[in-house]
Amino acid sequence: MSKYWTIFKISWENSLVYRLNFILWRIRSVLQLLLIYFIWWSVFQGRDDVFGYTQKTILTYIMIAALMRAIILSSRASDLANQINDGSIVNFLVKPLSFIKFYFIRDIADKLLNIAFVIFEISLLIFLLKPQIIIQANLNILLLTILAAIAGIIIYFCISFIVSLLAFWVESSWAFIFMMTIILEGFGGGLFPIDILPNPIFKILMLTPFPYLIYFPSKLYLGTMMGNELLFGFSVLFFWVIILWFLIKWVLDMGLKSYTAVGY
Amino acid sequence: MGIISVKNLKKYYRVHQKEPGFWASIKSFFNRTYYNVKAVDGVSFKIEEGELVGFIGPNGAGKTTTLKVLSGLLYPTSGEIEVLGFEPFKRQSAFQKQFSLIMGQKNQLWWDLPPMESFILNKEIYEVPDEKFKKVVRELSKILQVDDILKVQVRKLSLGQRMKCELIASLLHSPKILFLDEPTIGLDVVAQKNMRDFIKKYNQKFRATIILTSHYMADVRELCKRVIIIDEGRILYDGLLENIVQQFSTHKLIKVDFIKFVDRVKLEAVGQIERFDGLHADIHVPINEVAKRSSKLLTKFPVSDLTIEDPSIEDIIRTIFARGM
Repeated sequence: MSKYWTIFKISWENSLVYRLNFILWRIRSVLQLLLIYFIWWSVFQGRDDVFGYTQKTILTYIMIAALMRAIILSSRASDLANQINDGSIVNFLVKPLSFIKFYFIRDIADKLLNIAFVIFEISLLIFLLKPQIIIQANLNILLLTILAAIAGIIIYFCISFIVSLLAFWVESSWAFIFMMTIILEGFGGGLFPIDILPNPIFKILMLTPFPYLIYFPSKLYLGTMMGNELLFGFSVLFFWVIILWFLIKWVLDMGLKSYTAVGY
Repeated sequence: MGIISVKNLKKYYRVHQKEPGFWASIKSFFNRTYYNVKAVDGVSFKIEEGELVGFIGPNGAGKTTTLKVLSGLLYPTSGEIEVLGFEPFKRQSAFQKQFSLIMGQKNQLWWDLPPMESFILNKEIYEVPDEKFKKVVRELSKILQVDDILKVQVRKLSLGQRMKCELIASLLHSPKILFLDEPTIGLDVVAQKNMRDFIKKYNQKFRATIILTSHYMADVRELCKRVIIIDEGRILYDGLLENIVQQFSTHKLIKVDFIKFVDRVKLEAVGQIERFDGLHADIHVPINEVAKRSSKLLTKFPVSDLTIEDPSIEDIIRTIFARGM
């Protein structure tokens, strides 16, 4: 166990080496949040209801989505792809260490760091901008939100890990990683709640794993999801968790088998 | 029963091929041509505990591929491989805890952190007890003279210092087998010497089995009694380094000094002249003619001094690669 605790610590130390880099990264995330916040704020000027959302619910959604993004996205995926491409992955493969666990722990370490900062940032924004937001007090809803977020973490980890593993087969996997980021941001619900899309598109999207990253847990927090919708959402969510969990192991095995390290 | 045994190992790669140029790039995007590279093509050998064996061969000979198969990084295309009683590709922890692979060009140290942090991580990964960890770090950093830089960020270290720290990181779990792939690459002469001395000491002190690949003959000559010469995926020679000289040298070199100037044309009757300046000469002589030719030299020329030398190992290896076997 202390093996993984050490990985956790060393990941933190590594992230904190470059203070400027880290601060800039946080500024980027604050600016992104501000941008989305003001877009939605101006949409509501002179209107009370847009796509069935009130200003209060949408601004709450944006704040929660920012939190979810910090919890669920933030990933080391491109590190893995780089290591596969430059061959330094051999240093891991010769060690008695679970590859998946190693990267999962590093991800979690990164997340905790980001979460600490994002909570501070959001609190600051709420204090400065004083928007009306929903404080969810229903304990059941909060628990469901946390459960969905944890499942979202696993789904995101699996997807990004699998995409990085593509580096075993293609020499430049950054194109896939870039595409994945775009898809996840857009369809994941980081910019807007995806139920404002036309209904057929929304229905199809809800069968894919993407909305369960940001949209689903954020929407849960608002407390407007009921009965069947809730049941359906969690069923699809757990379906994907199981599928991806098997897929990740399968792809890793296949990748290692076909792996021909650079140079001979 | 050796500690490492390899029977008829083959490893083929499929590589895609592209003509130079833009259109060829587009063509290769849609229609790729592949060809097989026989990186290792039927290699067999056995290595006993405590041996220090050198793999020699030009770039692309199959040395690194062999090491990678032995450490479980590559699936062999065919062949039977056993290391410490394990099949390497199963990558069992019990096996992985007993060896180390050190590649001169692939770093395992965390670039942005001091080496000590990487050591601690390895300690945990290999489950090395506290006491033993402290002892090993103390010992090794003293021998390698790096005790003062263990808390400096890796990126700020020189290549020599970094390689030494790489070594320590790889030796924390006291591996029984060490695979060293070009451990002295890029190092200056002094650092190369330090590295060699250390490897030798480590082999003797801990009876570790070591396989070493290197382009530098000096590494091999100083460290390895036994060498395996590989070219194009096949073994050309497997045996004692000193026997290569006997087995493969066809000529010896007679170095001779004269009292007064001699005629070059007359000297050519003795053998092929490599170097000549009137008073000194180096002459290549077939090995079975050495006695006859040198007595001819002594009787017919005003010789002040004469030595007979074996050709250098570099020369022999070069001839082996040049003509095959």
